[in-house]
Amino acid sequence: MEKKNNNQNISEDIMNLVIARLETIPSNIELSVGNEGSFSVEELIERVKKQDDIGKKMIEMQLAYLRSLGKLPTQDLQNASATN
Amino acid sequence: MLLLLTRPRYDTPTHYLFYWAGLLIEEAKKRGVKVIDLDREKAVKKKLHSYLAKQPIDTVILNGHGSQEAVAGEDNEVILSAGNGTKLLKNKIIFVRACDAGMILGKEIMENGARGFIDYIQPFIFPVDKDFFKKPLEDELAAPILSCSNQVGISLIKGKTAAEAQKDSLDKYAEAIDKYSSSEATSSFLLPILLWNMTSQVCYQ
Repeated sequence: MEKKNNNQNISEDIMNLVIARLETIPSNIELSVGNEGSFSVEELIERVKKQDDIGKKMIEMQLAYLRSLGKLPTQDLQNASATN
Repeated sequence: MLLLLTRPRYDTPTHYLFYWAGLLIEEAKKRGVKVIDLDREKAVKKKLHSYLAKQPIDTVILNGHGSQEAVAGEDNEVILSAGNGTKLLKNKIIFVRACDAGMILGKEIMENGARGFIDYIQPFIFPVDKDFFKKPLEDELAAPILSCSNQVGISLIKGKTAAEAQKDSLDKYAEAIDKYSSSEATSSFLLPILLWNMTSQVCYQ
């Protein structure tokens, strides 16, 4: 079976949306993410672009919130969630 | 009631949890609850297992880093893990404020006869205002998240069951989400974090 490239599953629109939401966090704030450490907004945005574990958690967290508001098309959210 | 807490302190997250768990100790003492405080270098496996084996402890609150199968103490030393120490928690209520341990460790603790267990099935995430690093209790952006998780401990100290403590905590999360959802609210960036921790917090009873 062909392995899917997860990075292709998150559309650029979704990634830009997540990045825009992270940019609303004040620059004096870091997010403590369990064992992984604390991250500045810039570091989180880099992780989202790379879509490493931290980046994927940020995407998952922001999309879960948006999903709770019912503001995104379900298909986009399913595609993004499938990568986590 | 006899309460045991672990409070390691060696990095930013544990530094914050150390102080916020300190509020639970104050609450316990106010209510006449006896406290065993395994803080900093005392938050190690040998001491934890020894106290659990020898003392009639009712409630255990572990603060620190975690994984699906383990919880750590000072300097990230594993102090409790699947297959190692979970039987010592028989007949106790346990609140683990650490990432992920609700997935596997919590289930094993319950299989070994605990009365209740609360933890997270995802990383526990909270904001830290760098200007308040030396005064974590005055960090107004960390407070909404940490006070919601502290509610679990406060309710357990009041003698509530794990399920009741879980409900109290989730109610507090819901109140915080309402507060930061209002049009006048600043710091709405807290909303995804509040929702994340709220939906990641699990209770087994």
